[in-house]
Amino acid sequence: MRFLDLLVMSVNNLRRRKLRTALTVLGVVIGTASIVVMMSLGIGMSEMQMELMESYGSMTAINVYSDMYSTQNSSKEPAHLTDETIEAIRRMDHVEGVSPLLNVNVILKQGQYVASYVSLVGVNQDYMKQITVGEGTYPVMDGSEVQLLVGNWVIQNFSNGKQNSSYYETGELPPVDLMNDPLYIIYDVDGYYTSMNGGNGDGTPVKPPKKYLVPVAGIVEGGIEDANQYSWSVYTDLEALKKQLKQVFKKNPIPGQPTNKKGKPYNYFIYNNAVVYVDDIDNVKAVQEAITDMGFQANSNSEWMEQSKKQSQMIQMVLGGIGAVSLFVAAIGIANTMMMSIYERTKEIGVMKVLGCDMGNIRNMFLIESGFIGLLGGVIGLILSYGISYLINHFPVAASMMGGMEGDISRIPLWLSGSALGFAVVVGMVAGFLPAIRAMKLSPLAAIRNE
Amino acid sequence: MAETEKGKEKPIIQVKNLYKIYRVGESKVYALNGVDFSLNKGEFCAVVGPSGSGKSTLLNMMAGLEKPTKGEIIIAGTHIEKMTESQLVTFRRQNVGFIFQSYNLIKTLNAVENVALPLSFRGVGKKERTEKAKQYLKLVGLEKQMDRMANEMSGGQQQRVGIARALAVNPRIIFADEPTGNLDSKTTKEVLKLMRRIVREQNQTLIMVTHDNYLAGFADKQIHIVDGKVMKIEEQNHDDEEEL
Ligand SMILES: Nc1ncnc2c1ncn2[C@@H]1O[C@H](COP(=O)(O)OP(=O)(O)OP(=O)(O)O)[C@@H](O)[C@H]1O
Ligand SMILES: [Mg+2]
Repeated sequence: MRFLDLLVMSVNNLRRRKLRTALTVLGVVIGTASIVVMMSLGIGMSEMQMELMESYGSMTAINVYSDMYSTQNSSKEPAHLTDETIEAIRRMDHVEGVSPLLNVNVILKQGQYVASYVSLVGVNQDYMKQITVGEGTYPVMDGSEVQLLVGNWVIQNFSNGKQNSSYYETGELPPVDLMNDPLYIIYDVDGYYTSMNGGNGDGTPVKPPKKYLVPVAGIVEGGIEDANQYSWSVYTDLEALKKQLKQVFKKNPIPGQPTNKKGKPYNYFIYNNAVVYVDDIDNVKAVQEAITDMGFQANSNSEWMEQSKKQSQMIQMVLGGIGAVSLFVAAIGIANTMMMSIYERTKEIGVMKVLGCDMGNIRNMFLIESGFIGLLGGVIGLILSYGISYLINHFPVAASMMGGMEGDISRIPLWLSGSALGFAVVVGMVAGFLPAIRAMKLSPLAAIRNE
Repeated sequence: MAETEKGKEKPIIQVKNLYKIYRVGESKVYALNGVDFSLNKGEFCAVVGPSGSGKSTLLNMMAGLEKPTKGEIIIAGTHIEKMTESQLVTFRRQNVGFIFQSYNLIKTLNAVENVALPLSFRGVGKKERTEKAKQYLKLVGLEKQMDRMANEMSGGQQQRVGIARALAVNPRIIFADEPTGNLDSKTTKEVLKLMRRIVREQNQTLIMVTHDNYLAGFADKQIHIVDGKVMKIEEQNHDDEEEL
């Protein structure tokens, strides 16, 4: 028998008993919708959590610190983050990039407006390309010149020294135009304040430290509302910054650089911390362990994420399970309907067998019928799910339940709708399997006996 | 001429020492009690006997609907008593047409679809089988009722649809269990005449069960059964155009 004929026959059989078919389909609709909606909530929650975590920093980044405290009292030299260690880390497996962070506090000045204790961070290309630039471009990274990429919240630090002029008091941004008006930078913060306070202890006035005109290449993306991890600092090319610092401080110790046991500065740069970028989330843990073994402190979002991943998997399973129960009930409904249908059609099935209809065809006919109930229920159930999902996401009550987090709580990814549909069909066919076998084995004689 | 031709041919149906014993509680019912006969191709055979004599049982076993307790049934050289159920279905699909006493049309299909149904089991395409079904419905004189649903037709019309359904697959053998049982005597004659004409034209073998001796008289061969045993076998020749 041709498949198309079989299909037409099955569908016609379903159409014959519209009400019963509709009720059975309704069961599957409810079952599918409850699974999909429940799962979509679980997925939405875990994805929102992921997004939240990602806003705190990349999932594949590891922060490395030199372990100052545990070695402080021992006679050993502390493990310092130097260019050498950076290169060692770069050579590790699965490491895609690594950038040291050379952190110095500087003062930025434009006209009357001064921003004190701004953190200027020297980074390399690996780090710089993680930052999204809003206005302007990236600074040059060839070590030639210090150009700034200014965090989008840094502007809040500028004030003109008068009372009630800072952003924190007025809520208004100072009239500073970082991109277009000249901006000066002062590296010697201590010197600046000594001169501001009228000189050092014995009252002799001190010349204010030199200020340098500094070009601003760009501003980190984001308005005054949305913060990210790059919003508060100013970034520049590491090599250019090193050169500049050496030039500014000459033989004097550079502030922030540690000294050896004798109180002398090292003749190379020691970094406060570094960021390592790993190729895949799954490798973060291994790389992190390797770095810890080198004597550094390392942390990443991976532990936190792993834990919350497990948790959200649990939630998804529980929610999916609740939905599955109603689909199971629907499956019983399908089996029942098919059984009824066989009792009604005993004679018809018998006649078909007498006329030479293949046993497999009879079985398939019933399987197609029950599978079709599953498919129909699955499709309608999916449409319903999308509707419910939309309502959940657009009801303020539901949104407030998530503690005001941004984004949709109920999310139906394509794989979920696809597998829900497949699942509904499979459930239909499994439920119809025993009835189908029963129909196949019906005795043809029963049919031709006069009842 | 006809005699010698028939003599050379192997019989299309051979039944040898056939037994069917039903167990009803403690007792045994010998529905068939050692039946032997053979039929040639193109013969119209009537199985006659009183009610409960085992006619239907015999027919069902020849059609492969029931397994014999003992004995052999050889159809076109194949032993069907050894076949599995699905082999029997295939055998019926390829060789057998069946006409039921109670018509057994599929209620949800119209006349054409009913006749085309066994063709669809054979995998014939929709266009071809509809054409064939219409052709056979014309043959049985139902040009005007082709689109009627089964229960929108009279008994005689339904039986003619049933006959068209059995013939449309062009089977080698047609089994009919009291095909005219529910029809009045005039329609009975029409239907019988029709069956005999078509079967003759296409050189098919027809086996009909009836308890009416008068109707059995139209057959080439009459097998009389009483209490599960063959009492006698009568043969007679009929003219095609003979009035019933
Ligand atoms: N399934 C069965 N179980 C027990 N006994 C049966 C069964 N089928 C038939 N019989 C018995 O076998 C015998 C023959 O039955 P069968 O149906 O062949 O009779 P028949 O000649 O066709 O009668 P009728 O003309 O009334 O149709 C009867 O005595 C019947 O009671
Ligand atoms: Mg009978």
